[in-house]
Amino acid sequence: MAGVLVVGEIGANGALRHVALEAVEAGKSVASAMGGGLTALVIGSNIAAEAAKMNIAGVDKILVVDDPRLASPSAEAATTAIVAAVKASGASVVLIPGTTAGRDSAPRAAARLNAGLAADCVAVAAENGALVATRTVLGGRAQTEIRMPGSSIQMATIRPGAFAKAEGAGSASTESLAVDFGTEDFRVVVTGMTSKGGGASNLDSAPVVVAGGRGLKEPANFALVEDLAAAFGGAVGATRAVVDAGWRDHHEQIGQTGRTVAPGLYIAVGVSGAVQHNVGMQGSGAIVAINRDPDAPIFKIAQFGIVGDLFDVLPALTQQVKAARG
Amino acid sequence: MPLKIAVLVKQVPDMNAVKVDKATRAPNLSGQQVASSYDLYAVEQALKLQEQHGGETVAIAVGPASVKEALNRALAMGIDRAILVETADPNAVDTLALAGVIAQQVGAFSPDIVLAGQTADDYESGQVGAQVAELLNLPLVSNIAALEVDGSTLRLKRDMEDGYQSVEVQTPAVLLSSTGLEEPRLPSLKGIMAAKKKTVDIVSASPEAGRVTWSAPLAPEKGSAGIIVQDVSAAEAAQRLVEWLQSEKLL
Ligand SMILES: Cc1cc2nc3c(=O)[nH]c(=O)nc-3n(C[C@H](O)[C@H](O)[C@H](O)COP(=O)(O)OP(=O)(O)OC[C@H]3O[C@@H](n4cnc5c(N)ncnc54)[C@H](O)[C@@H]3O)c2cc1C
Ligand SMILES: Nc1ncnc2c1ncn2[C@@H]1O[C@H](COP(=O)(O)O)[C@@H](O)[C@H]1O
Repeated sequence: MAGVLVVGEIGANGALRHVALEAVEAGKSVASAMGGGLTALVIGSNIAAEAAKMNIAGVDKILVVDDPRLASPSAEAATTAIVAAVKASGASVVLIPGTTAGRDSAPRAAARLNAGLAADCVAVAAENGALVATRTVLGGRAQTEIRMPGSSIQMATIRPGAFAKAEGAGSASTESLAVDFGTEDFRVVVTGMTSKGGGASNLDSAPVVVAGGRGLKEPANFALVEDLAAAFGGAVGATRAVVDAGWRDHHEQIGQTGRTVAPGLYIAVGVSGAVQHNVGMQGSGAIVAINRDPDAPIFKIAQFGIVGDLFDVLPALTQQVKAARG
Repeated sequence: MPLKIAVLVKQVPDMNAVKVDKATRAPNLSGQQVASSYDLYAVEQALKLQEQHGGETVAIAVGPASVKEALNRALAMGIDRAILVETADPNAVDTLALAGVIAQQVGAFSPDIVLAGQTADDYESGQVGAQVAELLNLPLVSNIAALEVDGSTLRLKRDMEDGYQSVEVQTPAVLLSSTGLEEPRLPSLKGIMAAKKKTVDIVSASPEAGRVTWSAPLAPEKGSAGIIVQDVSAAEAAQRLVEWLQSEKLL
């Protein structure tokens, strides 16, 4: 057994998720250190064009499981496909996106393969021919390195946003993989999908995110946050406290029960910095905090903090950012 | 139709009380221990289902004798009885080994619904529930935000990246709670008194270690000591930030 298998994931809009390319980037270095090549797996219905997006430099082979029953694959069906691809590719390392779907199927597949699995990793490397995966634990306070000495197959899920996207034209071969699904793979039936409201948000790709919390006092004051975000050409995020209060839509929520983002710059305004919020943004390039409480935990993870009243600081800041950007 | 429901409850350090030692960078996990937050949502959901449909609710925790505290919380909220699977440190073995021990207890009870937390507050692997499902060959529905039971059909709403997904599945199934479910109730005084008389079965197990190892969790070396601007006018604070952003090539 040798080589790396990277699993791609198709989102509800039918497009390959970014994190698939991030997982390829993570897998490339491991594959070159350990040998055996890199195989990509894409699972879905009518996905030839999306699977071709995995043809990036460093990918040797793309396995496609294309089946009308896989339009939104259940954890069980994805598991069956992943296990089949591990067998077909002979991979000893398996990297899976740390999305909702990936974190359902990866543990199931690990159980079926009797394999070790590290969750939501922010770094992976090869050491003496074995996988070393780094993950954050304890609400983002600490990191630990995972090794799997007692497992011939070593698996990890990859935190979205933690790796750069792999790029460059590839020369991979594409093969369709026949998978023998059973009735138990289709026990969970998807009957619908509704939007969380608020329409599309560019939070995942925005270079700058300005997030507001309960310090804004009332929903109308979020205009201050929107203005600053607009001055940067960035997106607006929110804490759960203000989402639960109905001030902002759920799709803007950052944190454990919201989105994970990793922009180049994250500005937290009137946000206390609870661990459940921080886990969703700690991968950001730089964190700036504006809070009037000097002891707010957000200052512990900020590279630049302003202790002050946001109602004074924000208008001044927005004006100066606009001036600086010309 | 009455339902048999198993709820998995992990005892964890209260994350808001965990402090990191500056010198050693080691987090101190010996403070107040609580039931993991998602698990309390799972307990609440189990109680709601029992109120609507009747049946039996059982809470299961794996760990040293001290995890009885977390089980007591579930019992005080209203869970009927509990099983404490006594092991040394449940965090010293990988999730698959732990899931094996849990699956054995769940399998013996053969519930209609198994409820677990989406992830545990401390090590946040989010793997145990899915692995219990795999070991028992049960369907899995994660991130549930709403649940309706109609005979043996479960209709669920899932909180996903792209929106809310609706799914249907037949019992038995494993469901992982999200905080979109109803807020967990606080135990009443009556509940706390009643819990003292409820059964806690103690069994022992020794899940196998060795498949996975990990280094002691440490806070990252760099970080924290950032620049703090204080006691200056808003205009000056903004100016210093803009200058810093420019020097960092962020603006
Ligand atoms: C299981 C679970 C999951 C959770 N998931 C998430 C999640 O995904 N995302 C999330 O964000 N939270 C989550 N939470 C909630 C989290 O614990 C916090 O309660 C929440 O993040 C706090 O939001 P906040 O910072 O807006 O509010 P607060 O904690 O109330 O903070 C408001 C801050 O504003 C400051 N402030 C007030 N007035 C001003 C002013 N005039 N100028 C400057 N500063 C001011 C205050 O000093 C304070 O620090 C979760 C909790 C649990 C239990
Ligand atoms: N030691 C344990 N005892 C009982 N349940 C557990 C234990 N560990 C994990 N679980 C359950 O599995 C869920 C996910 O845990 P984890 O995979 O460790 O993040 C938890 O929320 C619990 O419901």
